[in-house]
Amino acid sequence: MHDTSENRPVLRIRGLGKSYGNVEVLKDIDLDVERGQTVAIIGPSGSGKTTLLRCVNFLVPYDRGEVIVDGDLVGYRKTAAGLKLQSDAEISLKRQKTGMVFQRFALFPHKSVLENLIEGPVQVLRQPRQVATERAMAVLGSVGMSAKADAYPAELSGGQQQRVGIARALCMEPLLLLFDEATSALDPELVGEVLAVMRRLSDEKRTMLVVTHELRFAREAADRIVFMEAGRIVADLPTSVFFEEPPTPRIAAFIAASLGK
Amino acid sequence: MIDFAIAYLPLYLKGALVGLGLTAAAMTGALVIGVAVAMGRLSQNPVLRYLTISYVAVFRAVPPLVLLYIVYFGLPAWAVAMESDVLIAIFSPLDNRLLAATLAFSVNAGAYVAEIVRASILSIPADQMEAARSIGMTYPKAMLRIILPQAFRTAFPTLCNEFIIILKGTSLASVIGVTELMRNAQMVASATFRNLEAYVLAALLYVVLVILLQLASTRIERWMGGRGSAARASG
Repeated sequence: MHDTSENRPVLRIRGLGKSYGNVEVLKDIDLDVERGQTVAIIGPSGSGKTTLLRCVNFLVPYDRGEVIVDGDLVGYRKTAAGLKLQSDAEISLKRQKTGMVFQRFALFPHKSVLENLIEGPVQVLRQPRQVATERAMAVLGSVGMSAKADAYPAELSGGQQQRVGIARALCMEPLLLLFDEATSALDPELVGEVLAVMRRLSDEKRTMLVVTHELRFAREAADRIVFMEAGRIVADLPTSVFFEEPPTPRIAAFIAASLGK
Repeated sequence: MIDFAIAYLPLYLKGALVGLGLTAAAMTGALVIGVAVAMGRLSQNPVLRYLTISYVAVFRAVPPLVLLYIVYFGLPAWAVAMESDVLIAIFSPLDNRLLAATLAFSVNAGAYVAEIVRASILSIPADQMEAARSIGMTYPKAMLRIILPQAFRTAFPTLCNEFIIILKGTSLASVIGVTELMRNAQMVASATFRNLEAYVLAALLYVVLVILLQLASTRIERWMGGRGSAARASG
């Protein structure tokens, strides 16, 4: 089987492991995300979901195994003597293939909404400012935030900030979107507007890896559900199978508790 | 006292101006040193970390007056005694009183500014660096464009305080003959034998200068605290 750009997975993880001191937070993780798929990672707090997501763009350096984005090993180079850590510049270049949406938005507070969006395209991708601005305004329109282009993050509601956060990631035109509990910090009445944007991106067949506590969203938008517990992937199933025939009583109980049945 | 003040005010003001200029130059130097040392202290590189920690430890401990003597009297004379053209080329400019004072105060204040800058950088939420990295910025670019501008706003009031401390410290430069406020007061005192008036007038001018600086810094702070201020950004 040849890994041509058409059929190879956008993300391939094999035998991934990560420890903090003696604490093993990720154990032997295997995971593939195909082009156009939305994969939801769910599970109890402390199960390693966020760490796994951060290993994908190497915000967290992993210790064992491989993370391969678009056919390229992330963070390390294979040499005769084993894996060698890549330089800051090389890692930054590979990071451009992924876009990340943060739990607490992490917009740059000293920059306006538009400046937040064009920062990456202008400073990293070296796009002309005007090109980046036109593209940013289009993306801003797609998340319903055109009117706030000149606002500063502090002047926006949480839901608006997170929609800008998603737009900032989209402006880099990443192959893979990473969502780190993107609605967990929001007031309940603001969750819907952010999920609606994520839902639309999923319908557009963007490739998405979504850590979430929103099981309803996962059930409606995800192609696959990955259930993590204690640093391991316990289940990796098509969404309908996962919800209709939960593989273990533990998972069935988790679903019931989360959906409030 | 009024007649005395009117007669000598121009000389005092000239001295105050020299003091302010010296402070501005030393603060600039301290900022350059401070940011560089703070970067080293936050670096992953153990050698850089060790060197910069040592810098702060040493230059916070050496009194500025001692440093001033070393820089002005010590280094140029040492270079000449070593008969090395390179050393003489490097250190002979320190024969200039203003240059020597600027260097001594920069090196001293740099140690304090480094700690101020480091603390401000650490006060910026970790996800700011992560967000900058997530859009493909290298570490230096993320520092320069995302972290330092925010840290500078946080640090600004404390840096203003440091500026005032340097200003008062410039009175020490009188001992190497820099004609700043204190030096001019000494000259007036020895010429008129009116010690109390001469030094009280100097003290008054320091008070006025510092109050003006505080007013200016509050203004700038308020202006920076407007739109786009990190302090107002919240979840």
